[in-house]
Amino acid sequence: MRRYVWIFLALLVFELPARAISIIEVRKSLVHITTTAQEANYKIPWNPGSVGGGSGTGFIIGDNRILTNAHVVSNARFISVERENDPKRYIAKVQHIAHDCDLSVLTVDDPKFFEGTVALSFTNQIPQIESSVSVYGYPIGGDRLSVTTGVVSRIAFQQYSHTMGDSHLAIQTNAAINPGNSGGPVLQDGKVIGVAFQGFSGEVAQNVGYMIPVPVVQRFLKDIEDGHYDRYMDLSISTFSLLNPAQRRALGLKDDGTGVLVGKVFTGGACDGVLKAGDVILSIDGHPVQSDGFLELEGERVEMPEVVERKFKGDSVAFHILRDKQPLDVTAKFEQAWPYNIQINQYDVNPRYILFGGLLFQPICRDFFHANQIENLRVRYLYNFYVTEEFYKERPDVIVLSSILPDPVNTYLSGFRGGIVDEINGTKIKSLKDMAEAFAKPVDQYVIKMLGNGRPIVLERAGVEAARERIKARYNVRKEQNLSE
Amino acid sequence: MSFRTALFSAFLSASLAVCLPAVVAKESAAQTQKNSPQNPASKPTSVVRVNVTSQAYDFLRPWSKRPPVQRRAVGAVLPDGRILTTGEQVANATYVELEKPDSGEKTPATVEVVDYECNLAIIKPAKAEFLDAFKPLALAEPSVGDDLAILQLENNGTVLNTRAVFTTAEVASYPQGDTSLLLYRATSSLQPRDSGFTSPVVKGGKLVGMLLSFDSRSQTADIIPAPVIRHFLKAASAKSGYVGFPRAGMYSTALRDPQLRRYAGLTNGTGGVYITEVRSGGPADKAGVRPGDVLLAIGGNAVDQDGNYVDPHYGKVSITHLLACERFDGEKVRFKLFRQGKELDCDVTLTHPDLSQLIIEPYTIDKAPRYYVLGGLVFQELSRQFLKEWGPEWVRKAPEKFLYYDCFQDELFKNDPRQRIVIMSNVLPSPCTVGYEELNCQVVTSINGVALKNLADIETALAKPVDGFHRIKVDGHPGELVLDAKEVTGIEAGLMRNYGLPSIKRL
Repeated sequence: MRRYVWIFLALLVFELPARAISIIEVRKSLVHITTTAQEANYKIPWNPGSVGGGSGTGFIIGDNRILTNAHVVSNARFISVERENDPKRYIAKVQHIAHDCDLSVLTVDDPKFFEGTVALSFTNQIPQIESSVSVYGYPIGGDRLSVTTGVVSRIAFQQYSHTMGDSHLAIQTNAAINPGNSGGPVLQDGKVIGVAFQGFSGEVAQNVGYMIPVPVVQRFLKDIEDGHYDRYMDLSISTFSLLNPAQRRALGLKDDGTGVLVGKVFTGGACDGVLKAGDVILSIDGHPVQSDGFLELEGERVEMPEVVERKFKGDSVAFHILRDKQPLDVTAKFEQAWPYNIQINQYDVNPRYILFGGLLFQPICRDFFHANQIENLRVRYLYNFYVTEEFYKERPDVIVLSSILPDPVNTYLSGFRGGIVDEINGTKIKSLKDMAEAFAKPVDQYVIKMLGNGRPIVLERAGVEAARERIKARYNVRKEQNLSE
Repeated sequence: MSFRTALFSAFLSASLAVCLPAVVAKESAAQTQKNSPQNPASKPTSVVRVNVTSQAYDFLRPWSKRPPVQRRAVGAVLPDGRILTTGEQVANATYVELEKPDSGEKTPATVEVVDYECNLAIIKPAKAEFLDAFKPLALAEPSVGDDLAILQLENNGTVLNTRAVFTTAEVASYPQGDTSLLLYRATSSLQPRDSGFTSPVVKGGKLVGMLLSFDSRSQTADIIPAPVIRHFLKAASAKSGYVGFPRAGMYSTALRDPQLRRYAGLTNGTGGVYITEVRSGGPADKAGVRPGDVLLAIGGNAVDQDGNYVDPHYGKVSITHLLACERFDGEKVRFKLFRQGKELDCDVTLTHPDLSQLIIEPYTIDKAPRYYVLGGLVFQELSRQFLKEWGPEWVRKAPEKFLYYDCFQDELFKNDPRQRIVIMSNVLPSPCTVGYEELNCQVVTSINGVALKNLADIETALAKPVDGFHRIKVDGHPGELVLDAKEVTGIEAGLMRNYGLPSIKRL
């Protein structure tokens, strides 16, 4: 199944009392956003990527801010916004962007933009299943405002396709949500219940659209109150449902439907040193955990991570666990968001690389994979199992010799394309920085050992130096390395 | 796609009844000119039909076999009343018979010697007199440029003789066990027949090879060459029993790169190959060869920078041919090495590596896979044949971790105490496996605290339940599975009935 992120346009509604607001008022808060974006170029990383555009919806939320989806303004080089009934186009800027929950706040420098606008307000609760909703925005099919209606179909954890690596609560609706609706408000009784953001293509499923619910939006707005977005916190453990009676008995559990098994505790995560593989989580922050990994929160049956969804950097989470059949209370503190994110889509970053002797070295990441269509089994394995096998411990950057710009200095090296760098002159290469340092050393020979049983790559410094300008000129290389995103 | 792949996969999956080519040759007019049917019946022939029924195990359901498959081939009659055919033809054979081309008379036959790595087999008819009217083929070595003939059989028993021009002799990979040996390449416009493309190749009435595969698009025939057949036949006649092709147990790479030559300390000359890997405990290792050494000569044959020597008959050929085919198991050969600025000699005693001793078997033929069904959890040993159950695209579709283990087993399991990797391949849902249904393809490290070196160790482990439980440790999520030992025994009969298991284990 493919789920599409849709790029779109929205309308704004203003802060109003809890009564049904008219379409006239909603129009005063809707913003049509047009973005010119430039993607990173992972094939020729010193070159800028292709320029594209898209449009989406946003809405005014007070303090002269516009809320929209992160994917509407990702990689933006230029953003213009328009209001209903105002012919002028205003230039907007991204104030905060949260790729992990696909939300962004924009500002407009020109104060005239906000004159006569109304900020929409949010509901305080999750809407009821089957209750009616209206989606406002600027989807495909015409240039002017579009409204569609439907009901709340389902409320559940969903993968957010913007990064492909984050899951949060999402509300599904049968109201049409189409490309262009992204970032637009979904209203019920005059209040925002969600931000339209993704759906299925009609080839896959009909009338399945998703909105980001208010708790996710509120968390984002609270996170940026200090002027910095710290991202979602994560337990960084794997859990296993405890449904097997024999397994429950062996762990010393009653047949009461509670508790999940901790399968793996990832090094460097929030629970590292707090939980252990084989522990049974009985409750989290006082909420009993059912044996299928669900718990009850504010009257709703939700998945265990929902408790963590509301945490911020610096917060703690308390577990009541069973370890070796003994009850134990432990607390984990969220010091930072999970740092090893090579497997998710990245935005607003410049690809990192080093070009040396015509050899292009790049750390692997999801975008790199997409750009290069990697078939090499070793690279695929290190990428796909980067987190589960904790390869990040030994090698935060997995550096691939991704391509070779042919030159006399590298004539006999074509067979190394696709290999992973292990050592340079006897030093383990754990990051691109390590590599840059190794290549900066004034040695006569750079001996690069790749992972696996092969011969080393030998580059003589004199030859590399002689080739530098030649390669730069011949291949139009603007910059030989970029070490930070 | 070359026909080799098609034929091979059909042979493995046993999904096709007859190995017919996917592409049918087009130009029939040109064909008839080149193919001159021999005069029928009266003339004594040297080829015989080899009809094989085979049945492979289903590695996803290791207690059962796949449906039987019939394959026909053309075998070469050798002196001493034996028939030469390919290893693929007799793989997993349940019944082998020989058929006279002209009369259609049949007799059962037995496989006397088979080597799947060089892809050759010797068959013997039940009645020796069956071959009385045949004219045995002697072996001969052709030269590049020669006209060869590929012998097929028409339905009416006529020998179809298709011309093939011998273009190249080179070392290339064979279907099984990552083996590389000499191959002849020839250009031919061969037509498909019901015997597939398993046929003798002759020149002037002498056997020069056996067809390995034919690519109808490029009209290229790959032929198992006379030197490989000669080696196989000689090894097959050894009194002490057949031992396969020897190896030195090392890998090398070209030494063309001047920067690498200087790094290796070579200041003059142009020859030699760079040794990248020496298999631990292998012949080269025992003789003291080390990675990083430069191999300059083998038994007086200079090795060039691409790893070739000059063969008196074929010219430049990879040293693999010199080591694997021109020598026999147990033979000693002198390596001239260059190490740290000095030349040194060492004597390497070549031996045949037993691939079934590898931690992940590269091929499993004629052997029943081991398994153990514990309360519904299916335990097996990881093998490449298991991975091939993911179909022709297995290298992409099989579980990636297992593919990685298989591909890099030389590196990954160097000091591993295991002889085999025990896996839990899947779960047959039962009252014991509630909550485990979705687990599959997990590496099992221990049961009840007993580390599993191979699947047979499971019996020892299961004899020691812990507090009445079997505790199964898996590598990765979720870490451990637990079964109630009594309950497992209790449901065994029902489980076997329910899933039609002939036995709960085969060890």
